[in-house]
Amino acid sequence: MYKITSITLAFLLSITCSIANAQQTTPANPGSAKGIVRDTAQNYVLKSATVSVYKSADSTLLSYQVTNNYGEFNFKNLPVNVSLRLDVSNVGYATSRKTFTIPADKNTINLQTIIANRRDIRLNDVVISVPPITMNGDTLEFNAAAFKLDSNAVVEDLLRQIPNITLWGDGQITVNGKEVKSLLVNGKSFFGGNMKLATQNLAKNAVQKIQVYNKSRSQESTAPGDSTLEMNIKLKKGKDIGFFGKIGVGYGTNNRFETDASINMFTPKMQLAVVGAMNNINKIADNTGDLLSNSTFKGVGTNVEYQPDFRSEGITRPSALGANFTYNFVEKPTYELTNTLKSNYFLQDKNTNYLSDIKTTTSVNSTDKVIENSNTNNQSSNTTQRFDSQYEYRKKGHSLNFSQEVNFNQGDNTDQTFRRANNLQDMLTSTNNSLNTGNYNNRNFRFSSNYRYSPYIITNKTRFRGFSSDYSLNTYNNESDRLNLTDFKSFTGTAVNQKFNRKYNTIADGFKQEFNLTIPDVKRLIFGSKNYSTFNFELSNKLVLNSDKNNDKVQDLDTINNVYRTNSYLNNQITTSVIEETPGLKIEKSFQKSLSNRYYKSLTIGFNPKELLVSQDNKSNRSFQNSNRNYSRFAPDAEIRYNNYQYGESSYNYNLNYRTTMKIPNINQLAPLTDSTNLYYLQRGNLNLKEAVQRELSFSFYKYDQRSKNTLNYSLTVRAGLIADNIADSLLIDEQNRRTVYRVNADGHKYINGDANIRKALKLKSSELQFNIYNNFNINKNPGYTNGVSTYSSNLNTNTEGSINYTYKSYLAMALSQSWNTYRSKQEAFNTQYSGKTVGTTLTTSYNITKKLTLNSSISNNNSSSSNAKDITYTIWNANIVYRFLKGNNAEVKFAALDLLRQNTSVINYGNADSYTIGTQNVLKQYFMTTLSYYPRQFGKKNVAKK
Amino acid sequence: MLNYLKLLWFIRYKRVKIISLGNQMNTFMFKIALRSIIICTLLSGQVMAQASKIDSTGMVTLRIDPSSARGVSVSQLFEEVNFIPLETTKESLFGSIHQLKITNENYVIYDYETKAVLIFTKEGKYIAKINASKIEKDPDVKGQSFYGFDIVTQDGKSLIQIDAGKQIYYFDFEGKLAKKVPIIKELLSKEKDYTNYKKFSDGTIIDQNFLEKEDKDSTYYNLSLIKDKKRVESYFSYKTTDYKDDERGHGGKLYDYGNPDEYLYIKKFYYNIYKLTSKKLSLAYRILFPAGNSLPMDFDTNPIYKGKGYEYYDKNRDVFFDMTNSYLHYNNLYFQVRNWNWSRDEKKAFIYNLKTNELTSIADIEPDSTSQFLPITDLASQYDFTNRGFHIVSPEYFYNSYSSLTLFTAKEQNEDKNRKYNAVLTQYFKTQNKKSNPVIIQLKPKKN
Repeated sequence: MYKITSITLAFLLSITCSIANAQQTTPANPGSAKGIVRDTAQNYVLKSATVSVYKSADSTLLSYQVTNNYGEFNFKNLPVNVSLRLDVSNVGYATSRKTFTIPADKNTINLQTIIANRRDIRLNDVVISVPPITMNGDTLEFNAAAFKLDSNAVVEDLLRQIPNITLWGDGQITVNGKEVKSLLVNGKSFFGGNMKLATQNLAKNAVQKIQVYNKSRSQESTAPGDSTLEMNIKLKKGKDIGFFGKIGVGYGTNNRFETDASINMFTPKMQLAVVGAMNNINKIADNTGDLLSNSTFKGVGTNVEYQPDFRSEGITRPSALGANFTYNFVEKPTYELTNTLKSNYFLQDKNTNYLSDIKTTTSVNSTDKVIENSNTNNQSSNTTQRFDSQYEYRKKGHSLNFSQEVNFNQGDNTDQTFRRANNLQDMLTSTNNSLNTGNYNNRNFRFSSNYRYSPYIITNKTRFRGFSSDYSLNTYNNESDRLNLTDFKSFTGTAVNQKFNRKYNTIADGFKQEFNLTIPDVKRLIFGSKNYSTFNFELSNKLVLNSDKNNDKVQDLDTINNVYRTNSYLNNQITTSVIEETPGLKIEKSFQKSLSNRYYKSLTIGFNPKELLVSQDNKSNRSFQNSNRNYSRFAPDAEIRYNNYQYGESSYNYNLNYRTTMKIPNINQLAPLTDSTNLYYLQRGNLNLKEAVQRELSFSFYKYDQRSKNTLNYSLTVRAGLIADNIADSLLIDEQNRRTVYRVNADGHKYINGDANIRKALKLKSSELQFNIYNNFNINKNPGYTNGVSTYSSNLNTNTEGSINYTYKSYLAMALSQSWNTYRSKQEAFNTQYSGKTVGTTLTTSYNITKKLTLNSSISNNNSSSSNAKDITYTIWNANIVYRFLKGNNAEVKFAALDLLRQNTSVINYGNADSYTIGTQNVLKQYFMTTLSYYPRQFGKKNVAKK
Repeated sequence: MLNYLKLLWFIRYKRVKIISLGNQMNTFMFKIALRSIIICTLLSGQVMAQASKIDSTGMVTLRIDPSSARGVSVSQLFEEVNFIPLETTKESLFGSIHQLKITNENYVIYDYETKAVLIFTKEGKYIAKINASKIEKDPDVKGQSFYGFDIVTQDGKSLIQIDAGKQIYYFDFEGKLAKKVPIIKELLSKEKDYTNYKKFSDGTIIDQNFLEKEDKDSTYYNLSLIKDKKRVESYFSYKTTDYKDDERGHGGKLYDYGNPDEYLYIKKFYYNIYKLTSKKLSLAYRILFPAGNSLPMDFDTNPIYKGKGYEYYDKNRDVFFDMTNSYLHYNNLYFQVRNWNWSRDEKKAFIYNLKTNELTSIADIEPDSTSQFLPITDLASQYDFTNRGFHIVSPEYFYNSYSSLTLFTAKEQNEDKNRKYNAVLTQYFKTQNKKSNPVIIQLKPKKN
């Protein structure tokens, strides 16, 4: 009933919105106006001059065009019987102006020749009116001053005003149907490159112009269709220095609260952002960028990131603090010269309380099953600190990068689990209750560097075509203390009751170093321009040095004397050193076929033989763990790439790949020390384990539409593989649910997985529609043993999502999405099968009632069903109303109602190779909250004295 | 001697430096600088002693400001414009016209992309194709191909001549092999094989890479006239060491403008148009561009630019680093310039009228009823004309070509205007599409 009510409500809401908007639309304008632009002094027509039509009365821009090769323009959908103004502009010319009215009886007017006069002295100050759009060489420029918007408008509002630019519901920006891949501010990446940070924060009044151009210069490939669109926001002189930010506080029912603050400062060379947030409503941001992008001045849209997560496990109280610093040593970086330092700090403190109640059913053999009921209460707290920095230097063919990262992660954890095992007759067979408390302190440091050289200018005589080298170092030091209390009781059979009280202290440290060197075009290096072979050769070498040291101190409680005594079996020190060396050669041959202005096709066939050499050395206090193993394997890779570019239509890309990888068994798989406290999972080793070899064939395909309107793009990837000697589990499970796991090599592991994506964009007169369908699937057949019987489990998992985004001007944004998740698992030996399905429907709407008042609503309905349990359905409805006030709309009050229907139960439902699990966990439930925010902003220096 | 040269370098270099630094060139300075470079060129020629003297008595200086170029309508320049679509079939599909020759009955074209010679009728109907399948494979030659053709008359019969591998093949205009003759190897005769060199009607051969052996040092010439196996004149000498580690090509290019006794010649990095006859080379037109568009005077010779050409163009994007595709038709001098800017707004193809001093921009020749309101070049959208200029220039007709993509785009832009096309184009627009074969444009120039 609730479900029906909520969905009806949601639809009513959206319909109301549509009606409201329909009333705002002007009826179709039947008028048309055409003409030709001519430089009469020089006697030629102006190709690609800008022609714009305004309403005479209030100078609102109605439409603009760029003249064609005949110097002509032809406007349609103009209002009739209204005085209109036409402005013609072109680089080097004075703006020509003409006022006209389209007569209602004819609906059309021919303006004949519009005369353009050269501006002989180019004085920018004398320009009377700024044309809205100009073509400057190959750069399309939109001049902000030509678009009249209210003083609070941001760049996003400006973009919406420009007829050929589309802001899609999912955040994508397209210009004439082509996707903008990167956005810069004054030629530099802006606070990490997230487009929203620039478009939703920068005031329109601070912008001089927006430039759009093809970024093909920076592309190494010369194949057509490879260039990408880049947008640069050029700020007005003096406005390239400023700040913007947010401070917000919210409080609600059930003591729910949230608070956040951010400040972003920028100067021509430097950018600094500091942001902090704290809440107890599962709004978790994992990095500074996420926090920043969710405290923008303008955030209309149906985006759902950084929302209270009603589906996450437990209740989390996160607090986070982040800082982001960028310094450009070169004020105007180019592809030829860049010198930038970026650093980032992030601190996160998280307290989580997680409760769950789950039931897992496992097949023991063809008739018997073990049913485990488990209750968990977990309290954890965690503090993470991360500091990273990157330095980038690029100058004419040389490129140098350094980056480092330090992570500190410390926390504690208390976990209490009560487990009961039953058989099919619902008879209690055993219980296993455990209490684990512990704390950890992890530190790690990462450093990587990369140097690449490729000659800036290549001529036929250039022998050395460059090389690429990488070095990376990763060190860590992890320390943890843990106390485990376990109580196992058996109610059937002969098994003995067992009790443990065990203390662990573990110190692990180690490092990993990796060296990579690649030299392309070896043939030219050796033989120069002499063409001995039509093949291309590339040499590569990879060397990895790895060392891990583990020191475990384990003590058991001597119950008689009540003191902890060292456990001589588990107390251990072990050092593992691995050296990996992979020399490789890549042989490639390319074929091209092209026909001028018709098509360009290229086919590349590559073969990459390489030798994998691994040496693994274990040194331990336990003699049976001492081993020295060497692995060597010839592992060829191969690749076929095909690209078909059809001029003005589409480009198609196909890729077929074959990869060989090797997985060597680690010491815990070969000879682990078995900790007997976890009776429900006892791990045993197998010294005869061999390396597993994975061979994968993958195919990918994508189509990229080159047309300018209503594009259709799709992609497909399928991967299939075989793992020979896969390291699999041999499980011995008794009726008390005690499991002993041996590792064995099992042949016949097969898998096939893939994903597909279809995107269709439709631009209607004043609204945009976007359809997106995504699917991924995974089918695998896993060999293994259960109680000595060889079993194959066949699994199928699918995930399908469909979404429709609709945006109407800047008033309304709607997103409807539907998702289907399924799993199916079959055990061939036992003839058992588990399956389940989760279906979710979400409708999100955002409606700007007035310029200051916005209504947002999000309803999602979830249905979860499993082959062995009752269906569970619940609906979560969140809604909020936002009001902006003060001059500049700088202040905001928001009232939010979350989980309006009080239905959040958060269900657990998943399947494994030989088991399935269903249950519930504690989650966030209904609350109401009022939030007050203030957005301080300033672009350019403050005018102290006004004239 | 060496000191003298050094002094010359110094004078030249200093002057040029002043000019390029100032960027606001005053005419006086310009003249002096220019004079010095010409003197230098001539002197250095004399220093080498073997090079012939270039006749500059008839030299005309033309001051050309590209921004003053005007537009005209097609009918002001041309009496007649004909479009000849070349038939598209599965067999006749080709990329673009690299070389075009005309006989009384046929158009014969060479397409570089498909490495084929195609024969069409004067109406554009496909007759035959000559490609690798009709040429014998020489087992010793790897990737054997051919890169053009010639039309020759043998025993009163016209034949298509193609050099490939070790043979010269002769085909008739049905594409059938008439005969084949082995190529005389230079090694065998110890003489240069001049079969395919440009010749004057009196048999004088133009050699653009003449080697003069002299003791230890070898001197090459960019331009030499050879008659009866003897060198008559040689111009523009250089030694291989001069251009070592230099990525810039320093040669020149000859342009056939339909006069059997004269070619136009442009040497790289100079804005000079020379006339070459079987007797001599004379400097006909010296073009002066505005300072912002001009290369330094010593760009060709000063070692500071050696190996740094692209860098220089990249930094000075307005500078014309190349002047190409020059033809002379009565008083109209055609030429194109190139710089590092790719904008189509910039005018780069011109017609200069020597009598009226009027400068016309070829991209701004406005289509009118003479051309059925269709463009006569693809300068506004593609690069065929930029790259190749006219295929054929003769006193009576010019020939040009562009892709069907260009023609269909123009037709689409004309859609609303109710244009009437002649029978050929009506049929073409009805049955063909953007992917059809290129179209030949035949232009009959007015004799102004």
